[in-house]
Amino acid sequence: MLLALPATAQEFAYVTNQNSSDLSIIDIDRLVEVARIPVPGSPAGVAVSAVGDAVYVVSTDTKTLRRFSPAGGAAAVAERVLDGGPIGIAVDPAGQRVFVSDWYNARVWVIRAEDLAVQSELATGSAPAGLALSPDGRWLVTADRDADQISVFDARTLALRHQVGVGLRPFGVAFSPDGRVFTADVGSNSVTAVNPATGQVLGRVATGERPYAVAFAAGRGFVTNQYADSVSVFDLATLAPVAEIVAGEYPEGIDATADGGRIVVANWFSNSITVIDAETLAVIGEVATGDGPRAFGRFLADRPE
Amino acid sequence: MRLMRYLWLALLVAIPAVAFAHGPTRQKVVLSVDVAAAPEVVWAAIGNFQDMSWHPAVFSTTGDGGNAVDATRVLTLGAEGGPTISEQLYKYDAAKMSYSYRITAVDVAVLPVTNYSSHLTVTALDGGGSHVEWKGAFYRGYPNNDPPENLNDAAAIAAVSGVYQAGLDALAAKFGK
Repeated sequence: MLLALPATAQEFAYVTNQNSSDLSIIDIDRLVEVARIPVPGSPAGVAVSAVGDAVYVVSTDTKTLRRFSPAGGAAAVAERVLDGGPIGIAVDPAGQRVFVSDWYNARVWVIRAEDLAVQSELATGSAPAGLALSPDGRWLVTADRDADQISVFDARTLALRHQVGVGLRPFGVAFSPDGRVFTADVGSNSVTAVNPATGQVLGRVATGERPYAVAFAAGRGFVTNQYADSVSVFDLATLAPVAEIVAGEYPEGIDATADGGRIVVANWFSNSITVIDAETLAVIGEVATGDGPRAFGRFLADRPE
Repeated sequence: MRLMRYLWLALLVAIPAVAFAHGPTRQKVVLSVDVAAAPEVVWAAIGNFQDMSWHPAVFSTTGDGGNAVDATRVLTLGAEGGPTISEQLYKYDAAKMSYSYRITAVDVAVLPVTNYSSHLTVTALDGGGSHVEWKGAFYRGYPNNDPPENLNDAAAIAAVSGVYQAGLDALAAKFGK
């Protein structure tokens, strides 16, 4: 069977459907949903490990963190009930820890990947939403939505290094491949670029209405605009706008395939994902999901062996 | 004077915080009705952002900016001096007979929602008549954990569904099923 597969890595999307409380697993190459797994409690945040062997999902209504094994079927292999308002999640590149933001209590849980035991807590600004690890694993960043800032932590020592004002109401946050941090500023229709080492704001990009999250491929940034039903594209070197691509309605989560060839967007209102060619910016296809796909986090991973 | 200035600053800081705070799970409501009248006729009645008189709960509409993006309107509900909802237009497409707007200010005692956006669209039915779709995305009225019953997710969905159904029922009565 494996010999019959294409030489390029196949990728799967793990899409949290918040309104139908399940997880759509979608083959991005064949554009088909291969499974839909029940995940009780309105899942929103999602994170896949770098090697694709674990998928973490945060259910907001039941405050539950779960880990799934893509090769291991529909049952969660680990589960932990938190308190407060868990929403965003990120896995560190080594795969040993996950970080979960608490929307209501201005903190991040540091959690051991293996058994989901809480190891420590980090104080952030008000309403932390998205969080991200730098590609080299050195920095952990949270988008503190109601503080209009990011918090930058040293991912090794977990010491707070900077708190940097960005645009208004940053929600999604992501690192570009060259190690800069980009926030999607919901309240000011902008993306802000920050140097995590110095805490310096490097520039801003105008987006469409209500930007939600950012992803990177082919030397460009891609931003979902919730109210514009579109994806804004900008040049990573110059931060100049390149194009605006029509997506489904209320696009939210966005991620790039590992080879940088495609961008995948979850359309919350349309109940679908849109797959975009990162080079030509053409829409390759749309695949139906469950109700209310958010896919808030890194949700693309190599196909399980 | 100085006090006034500080008061304004305090308001400017406070208002966005209220407008943006929300609960954990965004809700959606989609309701529609098919009516006998042609799409152009229905759109002529409901396609003006500055005139919400087609909805039985709306007493009056006042606003600025016509049907241009960023136009505003204030709906007064029920009777003169009744509760109000302030709204802003963010998309308008006459050719597609569709507009999108958001609520910029409403008391949760009037409509128990936060971060509310909505779309109204008229499309043609095969064989004549119109399909009117009204849909909204919103969070519940209580932005924190453990909401009281009157401000929880179910209350928000019920309230928005009630508004949409009343409006669509009025269109069905006016334009025939």
